[in-house]
Amino acid sequence: MRPNALVGFTAIFVGIVYAVQAFHLPKAMIGNPWAPVYFPIGLGVLMAALGLLMVVLETRKGLTNLEGVKRPKFQASSLKLIFGAAALCILYALIFENLGFILSTLIFLGALLFLINGPRAWKLNTVLTVGFTFGAWYTFVKLFQINLP
Amino acid sequence: MEIFNHLMQGFAVALTPLNLAWLLAGSILGTVLGMLPGLGPSTGIALLLPMTFGMRPDTALIAMAAIYYGAMFGGSRSSILLNVPGDGAAVASCFDGYPMALNGQAEAALAISAIASFIGGLIATIAFVLVALPVARFALRFGPPEYFCLMVFALAATAAISKEALLKGVISLVLGLMLTTVGLDFQSGVPRFTFGSVELQMGIDFVVVIIGIYGISEVFVNLEHIAQQITRPVQTKFGRIWISMAQWKRSIGPILRQTPVGFFVGVLPGAGGTIAALMAYNNEKQISKHPEEFGKGAIEGLAAPEAANNACSVGAMIPMMTLGVPGSGTTAVMLGALLILGLQPGPLLFEQHPDVAWGVIASMFLGNIACAFINIPLAGLLVRVLSIPPKILYPLVVVLAFLGVYTINFSIMDFYLLVGLGFVGYLMKKFKVPTAPLILASVVGASMESSFRQSLMLSNGSLSIFFRSGISNALLIAAFLSLAWPFISDWRARKKREKSVDIPID
Repeated sequence: MRPNALVGFTAIFVGIVYAVQAFHLPKAMIGNPWAPVYFPIGLGVLMAALGLLMVVLETRKGLTNLEGVKRPKFQASSLKLIFGAAALCILYALIFENLGFILSTLIFLGALLFLINGPRAWKLNTVLTVGFTFGAWYTFVKLFQINLP
Repeated sequence: MEIFNHLMQGFAVALTPLNLAWLLAGSILGTVLGMLPGLGPSTGIALLLPMTFGMRPDTALIAMAAIYYGAMFGGSRSSILLNVPGDGAAVASCFDGYPMALNGQAEAALAISAIASFIGGLIATIAFVLVALPVARFALRFGPPEYFCLMVFALAATAAISKEALLKGVISLVLGLMLTTVGLDFQSGVPRFTFGSVELQMGIDFVVVIIGIYGISEVFVNLEHIAQQITRPVQTKFGRIWISMAQWKRSIGPILRQTPVGFFVGVLPGAGGTIAALMAYNNEKQISKHPEEFGKGAIEGLAAPEAANNACSVGAMIPMMTLGVPGSGTTAVMLGALLILGLQPGPLLFEQHPDVAWGVIASMFLGNIACAFINIPLAGLLVRVLSIPPKILYPLVVVLAFLGVYTINFSIMDFYLLVGLGFVGYLMKKFKVPTAPLILASVVGASMESSFRQSLMLSNGSLSIFFRSGISNALLIAAFLSLAWPFISDWRARKKREKSVDIPID
């Protein structure tokens, strides 16, 4: 399928789901009950309409006609790294407030550097992790007076 | 003459050793805060707020103003070197600043951004002195319908940045507006799209959107390059941080043209540096003889938004100081500080505390000079960031982004949002959906909806209110022309081509 058609179908899906959700939002107790809902419903309908227009335009060119079209490539090695990094970010979110900034950042940054920079550079990774974590803590907590967990 | 006397009085205030020291400290701090993703001027000033409680009002305002325009100078450094905007106003500086750095022109990019910021800031300060009251009075004529039309114009102009993908640009814009509907509806108190989460009731901060869509997604895209062993050509040796005469000639026109745009956008409450910079970029792209060079490292594509966002930061202080209405998020924080210091912002500020009002205005002249000196020599050190291997740099950027986001709301929910938005941005980049309209929409979306609903309340639900005033009509026509311009220019190019084919070859 042409990439733009895929964007169009996604827009239709997002637009419809969003508009339906907007329709079911709680209504205002004072004034026009539908006032908080008009704008979101309008956005959902507009999104679906734009998606439809895009699909129609792409259908004219042939939905499966890929001549002269550059399709986005997703390689397994890239996705492994991206999803690995994203998983570590989620882990960071889970442990940040429980373990505190220093411990959670040591784990997160250390793991991220081992994932991206490779385990062979373990000395550099360790120095960077410790140095950056304590440097950031000092800058934020001591210099900027920002409370970190 | 009266203005001149007031200004001289202001210089006398600004040039006291204490004020001068805080002016320099604020300029340096602002530059550094501007560079760090997520730590923009509003966060910087909010952080400095407790420190100002012990200061005199003029010193406090001078320091806060210096942070503001210092951040405008510094924001572009990370845009150019990392493709991660230091703050929202530096978004447009990524478009051509980063390609310039990749093309081996980091020195010129860093130099022109500081020069453009300096000229933009200086001209805007002169304009501040001359037109503060008349311009603020004009902005007073803007009611909710005019504000809504202004937002429509700004969004239309941004969607039209991507001439090749206008439809995808509008989809991106609507997605950005959708993000702004998350949270408590402040007019009715109804929770929207919060899915029962207390953290989401305050909505999604646009800084989270900016860092997610630009910063994290950029890291994901670069991880792809790392996995495929693709290395970007990184310049390791640098020459003099300056520009050639040819580059100066290309830049001065855009700087002088877009400074008034930035200044005017700044004066209008609600519209901030991001809009100013994106509008300036779009304007220059549309009037350029070489629009195809934009996005590939055109120096005017960097000079124009840099001049505009600095002019905007000065302009935004006009309604804050003369009317008591903040022109941007940062001036809203400054307004809060003024109130804490016991000063009532508004026209009376100039009458009752001329030393404070004119002292701050005079300090802007000095601050711009200070920032230019800080940013050009400092740029020599900063360009070395490019020589750090991406494998090391990107993990550090991720941690900085998370820290920056955390300091805004102190909410872990923003961490999850950051990752989610990073993925959205990554997919948008893979499918060539422009991200700039989403960013702008996320900045103006809430005030746009608020203006829309206030207008409908004024007109008892009639949409005709948006066509009643000359200002609204002019803005709507400008919005229409912005959207139509890519088609008009295509049509004109086609006509030109057809004409050239008609000419007999032999």
